[in-house]
Amino acid sequence: MSCINIIEKERSAIINPMKTCQPLGAMYAVTGINRAVPLVHGSQGCSSFVRYSLSRHFREPSEIAVTSLHEDAAVFGGRRNLVEGIQNVAIRLKPSLIGVITTCSSEIIGDDIIGFIGTAKKELNEKLGQDKAEKIKIVPISTPSFVETQLKGYDNAIKALADHVAEPGEPNEKVNIIPGMVNPGDVREIKHILNLMDTEGIILTDISDPFDSPLRPSATQYKPYYPKGGTTVEEITDSANSLGTISLCKYAGSGALSLEKKYNVPVELGPIPIGIQNTDQLLRNLKKITGTDIPDSILDERGLLIDSMADLSGRYLHGRTVGIYGDPEITAGMARFVGELGMEPKMVITGSKSPEFIKDIEKVGKETGVEIDTMVDQDLRTMEVYLQENPVDLLIGSSDARLIAKEQNIPLVRVGFPVFDRVGYHRKPIVGYNGGLHLIDLITNTVLENYYENEHWKLQQ
Amino acid sequence: MEPVIETFESRKKHMCVKGDGLSIPVCDKASLPGTVTQRTCVFGGARIVLMPITDSIHLVHGPVGCASCTWDIRGSKSSRDDLYKKGCSTDLREKDIVFGGEKKLFETVVELKNLYNPGAIFVYATCVSGVIGDDIKAVCKKAEESTGCRVIPVQSEGFQDHNKTKGHWIGCDALLDNVIGTKEPEETTPYDINIVGEFNVAGDLWGIKPLLEEIGVNIVATMTGDSYVEEIAQSHRVKLNIVQCQKSSNYLAKKMEKKYGIPSLKVNFFGLEQTVASLRDIADFFGDEEMIDRTEKIIERGLAEVQDDIKEYKKRLDGKTVALYVGGNKAWSLVRAFEELGMDVMMSGTKNGIREDYERIKEVVRDGTIIVDDANSTELARLLKKYRPNLLISGAKEKYISLKLGVPFCDFNHDRISAFAGFKGFISFAKEVDASVSSPVFDLTQKTLRED
Repeated sequence: MSCINIIEKERSAIINPMKTCQPLGAMYAVTGINRAVPLVHGSQGCSSFVRYSLSRHFREPSEIAVTSLHEDAAVFGGRRNLVEGIQNVAIRLKPSLIGVITTCSSEIIGDDIIGFIGTAKKELNEKLGQDKAEKIKIVPISTPSFVETQLKGYDNAIKALADHVAEPGEPNEKVNIIPGMVNPGDVREIKHILNLMDTEGIILTDISDPFDSPLRPSATQYKPYYPKGGTTVEEITDSANSLGTISLCKYAGSGALSLEKKYNVPVELGPIPIGIQNTDQLLRNLKKITGTDIPDSILDERGLLIDSMADLSGRYLHGRTVGIYGDPEITAGMARFVGELGMEPKMVITGSKSPEFIKDIEKVGKETGVEIDTMVDQDLRTMEVYLQENPVDLLIGSSDARLIAKEQNIPLVRVGFPVFDRVGYHRKPIVGYNGGLHLIDLITNTVLENYYENEHWKLQQ
Repeated sequence: MEPVIETFESRKKHMCVKGDGLSIPVCDKASLPGTVTQRTCVFGGARIVLMPITDSIHLVHGPVGCASCTWDIRGSKSSRDDLYKKGCSTDLREKDIVFGGEKKLFETVVELKNLYNPGAIFVYATCVSGVIGDDIKAVCKKAEESTGCRVIPVQSEGFQDHNKTKGHWIGCDALLDNVIGTKEPEETTPYDINIVGEFNVAGDLWGIKPLLEEIGVNIVATMTGDSYVEEIAQSHRVKLNIVQCQKSSNYLAKKMEKKYGIPSLKVNFFGLEQTVASLRDIADFFGDEEMIDRTEKIIERGLAEVQDDIKEYKKRLDGKTVALYVGGNKAWSLVRAFEELGMDVMMSGTKNGIREDYERIKEVVRDGTIIVDDANSTELARLLKKYRPNLLISGAKEKYISLKLGVPFCDFNHDRISAFAGFKGFISFAKEVDASVSSPVFDLTQKTLRED
């Protein structure tokens, strides 16, 4: 018997989207580079609404420049805007890298981005002198908004970095990690794991500090303002010389594959290390690439998570039904983890269309023995209708379904992007064994609040 | 003369100091490509005006991003339907770009009508639908005939202009061309009015509406906060339009005056003085003695209710400085409200100002106030660093720039959760301003462990 039922979208309309467009993913990726500026080649709304979304989620500034395309550009092309835009960014902000991110309009009008960048570089050479001009990397990132979702845009950005910045040199004994579109807390947890494994990593790219940076006005008096941290351009250049690349996001493997093809850097794709088995897999992959044995310190962390699972899962979580929605990677990872907790992932739904995702959920279905209704290429309206007929005990996903959850009286554990109606989520990990601990606390406390009587404290023991 | 801040040569004249020769900045120009502009697109401008219509579906014809980054971001409250909170998109894909999206748009409209039976379906054009040349008007017409539901085209291609004000006008035009005047009211009274340019952000309308009802006017439609399409359809028979957000909606009032002969009054319910003046202006307009008496009583009562509650806040806010950097109307309409709290507006600026907006700012601010146009994020940061106001009033994109520099911030945009309009609104306003300015956190941000 099949363990999943796949339900495809039957409507033309999108009602309450569960995905967004490619440029957002690319802007997110470029923000993770030290002193880099994302430059969006499109209308002002393409940058301002994304900046708004990112700021709302991370509670941080989001500095994204735009070429401000207007009607004349739509007719005559965006050459002038892009060349001038690159110059203005370069001269004023003296960045390490400019990521030129296309949009639907610049893709459709057929702007020759590579050609325009060439012109801009020539002019910069004259204005800044060759030495200074060449220090600024300019990377074209093609992100047509009408193809796939934000994860594809993220993937395209990482691939562009691998193709345009990485350069062969001496072997460096490091491991490249492509984290996917996760939170600062997640990237910090990944770095923590690398540290325990005594392995140096190159994070492609590291948003942990740029999207969670300290308030120190005295330090920001230096101009121009760049947030602390991020992967340096030198590190990205050096990524061609690493021992291997692990992409924690299966949907963002093109950069890794490109490094493998060009520079023989071996690749491991996914899974996102949410829960025990997926994190185990990350450690096995690290061991395979570096040859480093897994240290006791990590086994202790794993033991702490399993201890907590033993404490809580049988008592409060077992058999509780869960609905999970959001990005395919995180959703699949969460489904597996709730399965490990003895909960039943009855409904898993994503805005993307992906055979990889279906395979992942099939695996979870087999492991848990739960018949999972899996919905791909969907929106939140589909979920809303589904839940009316098939209620679950708990929902896991972004803030976007908060009203649906409230209306249907289903407690919601906020995970994914965007989360704007709760605080602190972006600082804490959901990946790794520590992420598991955080998640199990979140989930169990939500269950306690909603399914146990507060006055009967003994029930809660 | 020392420049206001260091910036590009071409940007210098976009900033000035009142009384210092140039009192109105250069404005209404395209932003420099390659800056982190705080502006948005024409599509955004149109959406802002129309999105608060509560019984309608707002369908974005374009790739999914235009809808997914903008649904349910308008903090407009509703006392009735919540259809306006849905994020709807035709989700144009590669094949639609090649073969056109008209068929998909038609199907989508029909689906949405069948699912929700809304008061209207507003169809917004985006950059993509503009570039591929979809005839939105024709599809809307066909869909309207086929479904019997109002299907209203909004020609809001994002790249049309550098100024989102054009988007406001396009939103207003959609109402003028397709809604206003399409239904005759069953009854009219001599005191019928519309509230124009009030979007009920955080429930502002509900601070104004009871006052107006008490003075004896009859509100036919609000454009567009907490409204129904059918109300707006009957709005052409009123005796007066009062205009709250003059930035977005003067255009609408002027056109209604031309087309239907409806006079308009500029009103402002932010701040006590302005609230009082607005109520008096409305009563004076009707010239009814009883109404004028009633109004004076309402004013007396309203002021009395407020005074005690704001004393504490005023004490703490006295002499503090504030910088305004907002979308438009608030750049002048809030100035007096801050002065009533004892604060000093040291800077005012807008992202999308046109000349008449800066004329109004210039009228209300004192000499020495910095006036800025379209300051990008680098310039904004430099202004904050150099002049260090005790408070910045702006929106979500500016919020964290300000806080990172240790400058207290108060939201006066879509994200606001407290109503600030009218007498009671002024108490919430004072309270929130005080909570930001007087937070002890901002003493800590200025201290350092090291002597550096």
